[in-house]
Amino acid sequence: MASLAKGWDIQVRVIKALMLRELTTRFGRENIGFLWVMAEPLLFAFLVGLLWTALKGPEDFGVNVIAFAVTGYIPLVLFRSCVQRGVSIFTANGSLMYHRQISVLDLALVRFFIELIGHMMAYLFAGILLYSIGAFPYPYDLGLFLIGWIYYSAFTFGIILIVAPLSETSEVVEKFIPVITYITIPFSGAFYFVGSLYPSAAQIVLWSPLVHGMEMMRFGIFGPSINAKYEFLYPINVSLYLILFGLFFCRIIRKRLVIE
Amino acid sequence: MIECRNLSKSYRVGHARRTVLNGINFSIHPGERVALLGRNGAGKSTLIKQIGGVELPDSGQIIRKMTNSWPLGFNGGFQGSLTGYDNARFISRIYGSSYREIKDFVEDFTELGQALSMPVKTYSSGMRFRLAFALSLAIEFDCYLIDEVILVGDQAFQQKCADELFTKRSDRALIVASHDMTTIGNLCERGFVLHNGRLTAYSDIKDAIEAYHNL
Repeated sequence: MASLAKGWDIQVRVIKALMLRELTTRFGRENIGFLWVMAEPLLFAFLVGLLWTALKGPEDFGVNVIAFAVTGYIPLVLFRSCVQRGVSIFTANGSLMYHRQISVLDLALVRFFIELIGHMMAYLFAGILLYSIGAFPYPYDLGLFLIGWIYYSAFTFGIILIVAPLSETSEVVEKFIPVITYITIPFSGAFYFVGSLYPSAAQIVLWSPLVHGMEMMRFGIFGPSINAKYEFLYPINVSLYLILFGLFFCRIIRKRLVIE
Repeated sequence: MIECRNLSKSYRVGHARRTVLNGINFSIHPGERVALLGRNGAGKSTLIKQIGGVELPDSGQIIRKMTNSWPLGFNGGFQGSLTGYDNARFISRIYGSSYREIKDFVEDFTELGQALSMPVKTYSSGMRFRLAFALSLAIEFDCYLIDEVILVGDQAFQQKCADELFTKRSDRALIVASHDMTTIGNLCERGFVLHNGRLTAYSDIKDAIEAYHNL
């Protein structure tokens, strides 16, 4: 038991040190620093929200358009930046492998945590701001909303664990990332309520665990009026298999990693 | 003790594989100072990286019953865009040591002064080695892995290294890869010679140096 506790201590220490290191290298210590991580998702969500307000009017699918854009875009941007940041994590941080207590999994975890915390903060910030001007409802079911976040991010983490080692096997992979993230957009559930799709289309998008997570989050925010469609078992099963496979893949790639 | 059992490592070169280490066996006990000799490309750095856990072997295992430093050399272990102080802070965090003590020791030992607030990528290789060496001394390992370079710098700095390593820490083990036979001869009592992926251990450093010259 003692060694288990010691291992946990080291793990926590390493993750903390890596997070601080990543934050200083990425955002520096100047001006707002870490808060920059919120900037991209917020800008995206608000600008798209305004654009849609201009195109479609203030309401779409029976909810405020900006609220719709925020609830859809922020998780989508999380997914996208996690995938992009997952590329070549291991070789880019090769010098960290000099310290034996740092594992490749820590590198993936740290990137994921930073993105996750940043995007959740952005969501919270946008929600409170919009709520204060009456454009965002008081959450209908916070518990389900959080479960939705967990589902969405579990799948995202699984994808990082695949993209990171995959990008080490061949440089071609990197070229495909932008187009693959683009193709994923309809399967993120950001731009529709599943309940408003044709049943045949709904069936297809529900293959994607992200859609289940998104529907849960939006049900948690907007309530039953949006006729959310989701399952509890299917998406988490897919994500767990993905994570398991990813862990295995990372192990194989770690063995092959050549460090200068 | 650090024990290496039947260790093999190969790298992919184009479509072929090149075997660098082929069935390496040895053990190092606390306090032993071992030289690692071999021609350029014989696999000295590769072996040191396997011992330090930087890279993982294809097969075989390394049993570590004492703590070892990361391989100290010109590169590796640092984040170039961060300053010397930031790197020291990071290393003190991951090894769970007090940054205050490490900072004082590093300032005193490296004599890098202002340069410690500059990004490590602006350092010369000698400065990098000073920093790496100072940090690893401050953290205290049972075994130090030193790759290629050794005791660089002026006379005074060399003397300081010798004091820290041989006087204050004479109970520590040391594995040094180097081509500098004079330093090696003074420093080590045993020697390993790497040739064609095989390792031959000599219990007397003089025999090892002779074997190296006859390669």
